[in-house]
Amino acid sequence: MKRQKTSGMEKKLVRQYLILVLPGMIIFTIGLIVPLFLSFRYSLTSWDGMSSEKIFIGLENYVKLFKDSEFRDAWWFTIKFTIGNTIIQNVLALLFAVALDSGIRAQKLYRTAFFVPCLISAVVVGFIWLKMFSNVLPALNDFLGTNFNFLLFGKAETVLGGLLIANNWQWVGYWMLIYLAGLQSVPSELYEAAKVDGANAIHRFFNVTIPMLAPAITICVVGITTGSLKVYDLLVASTKGGPGRASTSVIYKTYTTAINGRQYGYGSAMTVTLVLALLLVAVIQVKGLRKKEVQA
Amino acid sequence: MKRKAMSIVLAASLCAGMMAGNSVVCSAAADEEVTLIVLAGQSTTDAGIEDMIDEALAEQYPNITLEWECVDWGNDFQPKMQQYLQSGLPDIMIGKAQDVATYAPQGVLGEIDATYLDRGLDAARENVTVDGKTYGMVYNALYQGVYYNKTMFKDNGWEVPKTLDELQAIIDDCKAKDITPFASHMVDTWSIGNVTMQFCMNDVFNKTPDWGDQFRDGKVSFSDSEDMQNAYNYNKLIFDNTYGDTFSTEQTDCDAKMVLGEAAMKVSGSWSIQNFLDIDENFDFGIFPFPNQTGDSKLIFEPNITVMTSAETEHQDAVNAFLDVLTGNKELAVEILDYTKTASMLKDVTPTFDNPSQEDIDKYAADNMIVDVTLGNNQLVWGGFQEENAKDIAAWLQGQETFEECLKASDGRVDASSAN
Repeated sequence: MKRQKTSGMEKKLVRQYLILVLPGMIIFTIGLIVPLFLSFRYSLTSWDGMSSEKIFIGLENYVKLFKDSEFRDAWWFTIKFTIGNTIIQNVLALLFAVALDSGIRAQKLYRTAFFVPCLISAVVVGFIWLKMFSNVLPALNDFLGTNFNFLLFGKAETVLGGLLIANNWQWVGYWMLIYLAGLQSVPSELYEAAKVDGANAIHRFFNVTIPMLAPAITICVVGITTGSLKVYDLLVASTKGGPGRASTSVIYKTYTTAINGRQYGYGSAMTVTLVLALLLVAVIQVKGLRKKEVQA
Repeated sequence: MKRKAMSIVLAASLCAGMMAGNSVVCSAAADEEVTLIVLAGQSTTDAGIEDMIDEALAEQYPNITLEWECVDWGNDFQPKMQQYLQSGLPDIMIGKAQDVATYAPQGVLGEIDATYLDRGLDAARENVTVDGKTYGMVYNALYQGVYYNKTMFKDNGWEVPKTLDELQAIIDDCKAKDITPFASHMVDTWSIGNVTMQFCMNDVFNKTPDWGDQFRDGKVSFSDSEDMQNAYNYNKLIFDNTYGDTFSTEQTDCDAKMVLGEAAMKVSGSWSIQNFLDIDENFDFGIFPFPNQTGDSKLIFEPNITVMTSAETEHQDAVNAFLDVLTGNKELAVEILDYTKTASMLKDVTPTFDNPSQEDIDKYAADNMIVDVTLGNNQLVWGGFQEENAKDIAAWLQGQETFEECLKASDGRVDASSAN
């Protein structure tokens, strides 16, 4: 009798949860799941995005993808950009966070100064750095009588470096705050105990700080990686994927192919591969990094 | 009999009543508040004309309001159109003449009434007419060619070149005198695409107007066509004779350098005039067509602002009112032309701004040495083809691709070379 009552209660609770989850599920399904399936459906057609005809061509677009050197180049650029960002942003953000956590003066001022760029739209950031590299910094050269090459967006060899500077300038402050929050939650007893055990500052950093920051590292690494894989707006505002195609990311290539190039079906195939890659990267990272969190 | 007469009278009065009612509805429709959606794909010169049109429309048709969506024609017009093709087109679209060939075959554009077309120049109609129906109202035009610093040409004793050898002589003299021959801004891929089409017009399409069709039929290719290769190679000529930082120089900076006398020439279009005169209203410049292999190159003419209407609009009367204001209000037309520094495509409308290159344009027009670039743009479309080729040209100039790879890439894009 009691059991029946409990199970009735459970059912009621489950129903309540479902009702609460339902609006979110509906929005998620309409906004994400359905377009994802539609995108896969279009990827099996030769649709141009304009006509009503959507001719089924099977996996032809996917076969074409593997032979497309421009798409391969776009992936190669995206991978380099992602690796560069993940390393630089994590290292810099962590270093800045440690510096700010060490009790330096005007900590709030620095924190604000580092954080402000991430409040600016990536499009504006693109324009800012386009002007910086094309006008402001070369003018500084003239003023100082130096000859540094600041025209980073103007050459295929240097455009990646320029974009990494722009992107890191924008986002380091954001990830720094996450690390800072993580640092401030590390119990001071752990440091004191390590000190008593004779650990110097470096030992304390690698044996106490880093393990305790594992959850924050997971968040930052996954966030930076997936964000970098999806880079688009920064490129639109700064290099437009150039010079030539030297800074064309996968998303940029997908957009220009599907929309400007009127190859919606082919562009959809590109999207599907990107989604799969993003899922794969996120799963590997989360699984790998979570293991470390448990060990910590 | 009486009953029959009565029924006739009743029927007649009913009809009369209905007609009167209709006229009341019609006049009500004329006064009804209407909001028209306008998608405007603008060139760099056009931003701001929407306010002028709003003002003029409010005076003549106060019941009509325009809801503008202004986007960059080169980057965003086609994507927006693609989006609207799925959800329903705006009432009015402002693009370029070449857009008519892209969208009219989809059956989504409305035919423009002859009342308004007749107010425009006949020369503008051909390339916006599909199967005998005209779907675009061309409003203004740009000229494209080589802008040159008249003072610099005069001081150095240079004559306007007609052949490539004459152009090379000027380049050599420039170099000897430490003058940069060409101002350019290759950071803008559209600029590379634009000048390449100028070269193609004079070396390819003037000789073979259906080159694009032949390309799609497999009869010609970029890799095999000497004319097309010449057109591509002129980019190298510019690149070798321009600033070292051309891939970091934006249009405004480039135009400023031209005005400040840091370069002698610039392959460009009327969109540069706005900048030239903004920087120095006394800047004296002319224009000539970029010389071709045969020495008979023509000045390029591009119909620019082209109004298209939706075939499905629910407000055709209001759309016609919009066309009426645009084509019938000469004061507005002059204001727009003076602002955009462009040429008129309306009858009896002449801009009043002082255009130092007008003298040259008139001379080429008198000699029938002007050609409409819409021909080339319809043969080889901009979106997905010309703009992608321009990226390969940039990669070739930067040493990232060989010339052969660049040509091969254009050949490989054959499926995207036509809008339909």
